[in-house]
Amino acid sequence: MNGTPWWRDRRVLPWLLQAGVGLAVLVVVAWLMTNLVRNLSAAGLLLSWRWLGQPAGFDLSETLLPFNASMSYGRALLAGLLNTLRVIVFALVGSSLLGLLVGMAAFSRNGLLRGLARVYVELVRNVPLLLQLLFWYFVVFLALPDGAAALGWPALVLAKSGLYIAGFADGRWQLPQLLASGWQAPVHLSVEFAALLTGLITYIGAFIAEVVRGGIASVPAGQWEAASSLGLHGAAILRHIVLPQALRVIVPGLTNQYISLAKASSLALACGFTDLYSVAETTLNQTGRAVEVVLVLLAAYLAIDLLISAAMNGLNRLVQVRER
Amino acid sequence: MAAPMNPPSPCRSDVMIQAEAVEKWYPNGFQALRGASLTVNRGEVVVIMGPSGSGKSTFIRTFNALEDFQKGSITVDGIALSNDVRNIDAIRREVGMVFQQFNLFPHLTVLENLTLAPVLVRKRPRAEVELQARALLERVGIAEQAEKFPGQLSGGQQQRVAIARALCMEPRVLLFDEPTSSLDPEMVREVLDVIQALAADDITMVVVTHEVRFARQVAHRVVLMDQGEVVEEAEPETFFTAPRHERTQRFLEQIL
Amino acid sequence: MRKRSAPSPIAFAAAAASPLKRLQRQLAPSAADALLSLGLVALILWAALQLLGWAMGRADWAVVQLNSMLLLVGRYPLAEQWRLWLLALLLALQAGLSWGLLRAWPRADRREQARLWPRHDRIAGLLLALLALLLPFALHLAGPLQWRWWLLAAVLLAGRWAAGRWGQQLPRRALKLVAVLWPLLYLLGFWLIGGGLGLAAVSPGDWGGLLLTLLMASFAMALSFPLGVLLALGRRSSLPLLRWGSVAYIEFIRGAPLITLLFVGQNILGFLLPGGASPDRIWRAAWVLTLFAAAYLAEAVRSGLAAVPPGQLEAARSLGLSQPQSMVLVVIPQALRVALPAMVGQFIALLQDTTLLSLIGLLDLLGTARGIMANPEFLGHSSELYLVLAVLYWGCCASLGLGSRALERRLDPRSVASRR
Ligand SMILES: Nc1ncnc2c1ncn2[C@@H]1O[C@H](COP(=O)(O)OP(=O)(O)OP(=O)(O)O)[C@@H](O)[C@H]1O
Ligand SMILES: [Mg+2]
Repeated sequence: MNGTPWWRDRRVLPWLLQAGVGLAVLVVVAWLMTNLVRNLSAAGLLLSWRWLGQPAGFDLSETLLPFNASMSYGRALLAGLLNTLRVIVFALVGSSLLGLLVGMAAFSRNGLLRGLARVYVELVRNVPLLLQLLFWYFVVFLALPDGAAALGWPALVLAKSGLYIAGFADGRWQLPQLLASGWQAPVHLSVEFAALLTGLITYIGAFIAEVVRGGIASVPAGQWEAASSLGLHGAAILRHIVLPQALRVIVPGLTNQYISLAKASSLALACGFTDLYSVAETTLNQTGRAVEVVLVLLAAYLAIDLLISAAMNGLNRLVQVRER
Repeated sequence: MAAPMNPPSPCRSDVMIQAEAVEKWYPNGFQALRGASLTVNRGEVVVIMGPSGSGKSTFIRTFNALEDFQKGSITVDGIALSNDVRNIDAIRREVGMVFQQFNLFPHLTVLENLTLAPVLVRKRPRAEVELQARALLERVGIAEQAEKFPGQLSGGQQQRVAIARALCMEPRVLLFDEPTSSLDPEMVREVLDVIQALAADDITMVVVTHEVRFARQVAHRVVLMDQGEVVEEAEPETFFTAPRHERTQRFLEQIL
Repeated sequence: MRKRSAPSPIAFAAAAASPLKRLQRQLAPSAADALLSLGLVALILWAALQLLGWAMGRADWAVVQLNSMLLLVGRYPLAEQWRLWLLALLLALQAGLSWGLLRAWPRADRREQARLWPRHDRIAGLLLALLALLLPFALHLAGPLQWRWWLLAAVLLAGRWAAGRWGQQLPRRALKLVAVLWPLLYLLGFWLIGGGLGLAAVSPGDWGGLLLTLLMASFAMALSFPLGVLLALGRRSSLPLLRWGSVAYIEFIRGAPLITLLFVGQNILGFLLPGGASPDRIWRAAWVLTLFAAAYLAEAVRSGLAAVPPGQLEAARSLGLSQPQSMVLVVIPQALRVALPAMVGQFIALLQDTTLLSLIGLLDLLGTARGIMANPEFLGHSSELYLVLAVLYWGCCASLGLGSRALERRLDPRSVASRR
């Protein structure tokens, strides 16, 4: 067994290969890093986080966190992050509901409804999201009439100045009202936010519909027959027999869609909504701190992804356990 | 053909495979071979039997370095199996293998399955290899299927293609790992007949199988493995009628 | 509402009944369904009428007519545009030939002989011809543009016909030639577009519109493919360093939104190279797209690799093939067949992702369109542009999907080893 030269030994070769690849990667990374440090120091931009505390000097139109131009960059980024999270949460709920409905419609006995569900999915999935967002914002929402001409029902009013929704305020139920200063309602969404939500929900909803459809289709036809032989009927079969089993397939697919939703929310600036990315871009333009801003962005989105994965993994465990 | 650093073994003339006290641990720490030894002579047909999990597959897979081993030694036709990759390549060229699941390449036609390795590994001219491949297909009785894809053949036909594919490399040894275990009963015979015909041609073969009738008719020797060891080695008649070892008796009681 | 899983007995019953009965079963299996169908029909009719009324009446297509060249090729110099037309002609010919050969190649899952014009092809060909004939009129394109458009369609259909007619007589090997011709044509295309070697150079800054979109998408697709395969192999490797390296790269890229990565490309890449020697913005974006797509593609290929039973590699190795030979000749071809639908899905996503280039100031199709909308001259006519863009993107993406499904059917499902 000896006498084998080491460069032909099959125990050594894998390590040789790894060492070679590792070394090459290391050299390239080291080279890039030295360039980075040299270029940054030449531009006087060596890594530093002091600028986070300096006043931002720009205003944000719509924030959960009170914000004005004299507050710091750090607070501006935080406000942007909160806006991003707000979009994600609303869109997540909306697209799940839409996706569930459309996914179930694919199994309807009504041929027209089935066809419509198919058309919706094929239409939306094959047109870029950015184009859809621009369409919703510029063509639909910005073209809404305002004042007395605004579209709407008592509980929901669509106007150029935003979405007005009924709700509880001062301890009682209130409908949107047209005052001299414009519409007033307990819940008010800006058109930017509304357009972004609409775009994200319709887009991700189509993908979720496909996930749901795949999940339902994965339940063997025998389950439907067994349930109807027990005397159950359509909707009851779906709710009590099929959906619980389909969830096993649906939940992992949903995780992917939710993560892609989180990433897609970064296109908010197409609708003029100030999310984390658009604040970061403004910050970069003012401070020139490219590396730090990118680090903040990447870390924030990574954290959101991890959060979603963790929550969905928990849900997944729940679903899979119930199966047994 | 032997790699240069190995002196020709003294018994090159008649010993084809010499495995001595081979011990193997799988990466999970399980010891699958505990000092298995076996000598196979040139032109001999050896059948390996044994209970499930006894290490039969693992053992013959060490003969063409599909599995590595930690202790002991294996010599194939005078080439000692070492960790030298050149040496391993040399041995794989000389040792053919037929698997339980056939493992034909489904994206290539039957003919391409046969010619792939001889053309690429042995660097032989394609036209010549194709001629030989067609002759081999003729011999295993499926000449008319040459242009089909494996998925279009029956299990028995696929296994016969697999045998022809191994033969096309002109190996000195053929290893069979349960070649008929995943076949429908009516196809077992056609494959065993092909193997039996090969045995008459003086090819050295090591066959893992549970087919007793085949072992009796074809094997020169039958070997029993149990718990990673070779327990008994005997002529077929002796093996099946008067086994020396108590473990062999128990095994035979179960399968006969 | 009652729901059933796909092949329901109702569907069988419906197939046997008369057309009227069938319609009733489809649209009104129950009273509630009848009401729902009625509502839906009304809704669809209303929407269709609105759209038609808008398209024929209020819509002003001048914005598209006046800017058609800008949307197609951006600021590509007028004097050099013949190169693009030549390329388009070659592409149409090649597409027609490939289409025809694909048809002439008998379907693996059917015994019957391939037909010259199967039903789907007749429909597709007719649609193409109609589109070629009507679109120029509908958009009132300029004369030269009109007949070039017709020429392209004619060449494509002629190529399709010729290849379908004579393709069957070609030996199987000749079919592989098509696969070689595409990359060659691609390189030729880059030369025609970019110039050099005797042609006047046109700098990437002047490429725009649909041309830039297709160039960026195809460039990223072509290069991300080998990268993705390597990453997938790395992720499944038994060598820990390669495995963890690939995992880290794939997960990092998949964790970040594309826009932030494009941001990195535009703002940080310049710092990473010595002395500000940074490539053109367009190339920077192209490389970011490539590296981005590679991570997603790797996941698609990985699922394909996982579907190839380990016995395949063992069989190849026991025949004496080396590890690289076994991978390239035996494992990867099978893995790619399994991964094909997922890979095409990623390519479609990539084509859509090129729209993000407009957010970093590049003049791709969407960027050009937004530039036109910002022009006060065309104010209030963005709907027309959005519609044209949507149709263009939809057409590209949907035809990619259709092509992949056709290819999939032609590759025998049995030609991938099954696990038992
Ligand atoms: N990759 C592996 N990792 C860990 N243990 C393994 C591995 N492959 C096989 N083993 C174990 O090694 C032992 C021997 O396996 P082997 O496949 O050689 O048995 P066998 O005699 O061929 O059995 P069978 O008749 O079922 O094919 C078994 O106990 C098996 O569980
Ligand atoms: Mg075995």
